[in-house]
Amino acid sequence: MQLEFKIPIFDVKNLSFIVRENTILSNISLEIFHGEYIAIIGPNGGGKTTLIRMLLGLEKPTSGEVRLFGKKMKNFKEWHKIGFVPQRASLVDENFPATVEDIVKMGRVAKRGIFAGFSKEDAEVVEDAMAKMDIIHLKDKMIGTLSGGQRQRTMIARALASSPEILILDEPNTGVDMVSQQRFYKLLSKLNKEENITIVFITHDIGVIADDITRLFTINQQAAICNNPKETLSCEDMSALYGIDAHLISNHKHDCSGESGC
Amino acid sequence: MLEIFDYEFMQRAFIAGLLIATLASISGTFIVLKRYSLMSETLAHSALVGVAVGLVAGYNPLWVAVIVAVLSSWLIEYLRSSFSLYSDAILSIILSGSLALAVIIVSLGGAFNNSLFSYLFGSILSVSSEDLVTIMLFGSLALGLLLIFSKELFFICYDEEVAKTSGIKVKFLNFLLVTVVAIIIALSIRVVGSLLIGALMVIPTAAALQFRVGFKNTMLISLVFALFSVIFGMTTSYYYSLPSGATIVLSVIALFIISLVINKK
Repeated sequence: MQLEFKIPIFDVKNLSFIVRENTILSNISLEIFHGEYIAIIGPNGGGKTTLIRMLLGLEKPTSGEVRLFGKKMKNFKEWHKIGFVPQRASLVDENFPATVEDIVKMGRVAKRGIFAGFSKEDAEVVEDAMAKMDIIHLKDKMIGTLSGGQRQRTMIARALASSPEILILDEPNTGVDMVSQQRFYKLLSKLNKEENITIVFITHDIGVIADDITRLFTINQQAAICNNPKETLSCEDMSALYGIDAHLISNHKHDCSGESGC
Repeated sequence: MLEIFDYEFMQRAFIAGLLIATLASISGTFIVLKRYSLMSETLAHSALVGVAVGLVAGYNPLWVAVIVAVLSSWLIEYLRSSFSLYSDAILSIILSGSLALAVIIVSLGGAFNNSLFSYLFGSILSVSSEDLVTIMLFGSLALGLLLIFSKELFFICYDEEVAKTSGIKVKFLNFLLVTVVAIIIALSIRVVGSLLIGALMVIPTAAALQFRVGFKNTMLISLVFALFSVIFGMTTSYYYSLPSGATIVLSVIALFIISLVINKK
């Protein structure tokens, strides 16, 4: 694959995470390249979120290494290149005194110098990010008054306002209705194809996004990487992927409803 | 204008009071949003240890209070970020520990008197020119730092982890915020008193939040409420010979109740 000649955005080598003798992640190695659209699936408690947190430097691995844009974590400074939308994004504190615009502007904060105010360029980027997420009409609304889908788009607009090269989303659809979810996947796909933003996200809705994604990572203590996600979605593979914990497979039966052998 | 301004001590008290209202309400906005409300109470009690040392050893109690409160804020932030302890438990331990220490120092030094009472509940009579200079000096430094980093601090209040992944120096700014708050609290105990300063920090923002407006406007409403409470509280304190801290706090609580009622859904 030609991508292999480039420096990966994330280069993960032999990553393990052990907490009080519980192995959460064991010997994970993977690379994420520019322009990819990657979904991460796996059973609850399988370590998906922990992996993302280690990619972002929020947790320190027990062993192994994460390189970002070719640099060691401690030497990496260009955090504005990475946009992160956490799991709780749509479950904000209802009383928090921020308008949609206040939130999206946060995306510019780390980019500008300490003594600099918001520039005209900052204002344009913020406006542009809100336009892409179709929330300009909501910009003066308080964040607590929005629906789950609107909040989610606000969080992504905030991440986009830092002009990231990669967007990382952790179960972004928690608390969001079906219609908003469909619209959301279209937006992600558009950002990937038209804006050339690399996208990595944790989800349980593999069926919905299978057509768009370039690769699928399955995480359950260990990582399995599927370069052809459509094939992977067969029932046997799903069973094998989730198979380390038989109890959890049964929770995911609905993912392969109508097929035998699940 | 009013006869109360004929007295120099009232002029000093009003200038000090208005400065403290500004500092307490602006820092209070961050403190409330970060769920650090109990922190202000704890630091106020730590400042009391400084006052006790100052009274007994003969130093300016305000200066020693600033130093002790800052050290205490660093200890709290260090314990909070480095050990898996519940932060309200840490605050509770340091709050009662400080009070116990302050009482012992004062008892051993034989300084249990009216002077201590004024540091507990605030006294408009007691603001000296030296106090005013100290408040202006440290106050402008504290306000400057808060305003320079207000956008970063707001981001951290909203979501500490996302702020961290955006490249914001969260740990440094958290230390900075608690340091600034410690300084403001220590400066405030002259006018508001260490037992009541927490209220002036927390209640104006709690009231402003009822209006459900954006960040800047919340801060502005909080500032106006704090200024009003200090003016009204100090005037009442003057005319009825009551401790200024108590009248200020009751004024701000009245504003809080009004805000709650008129914004009821």
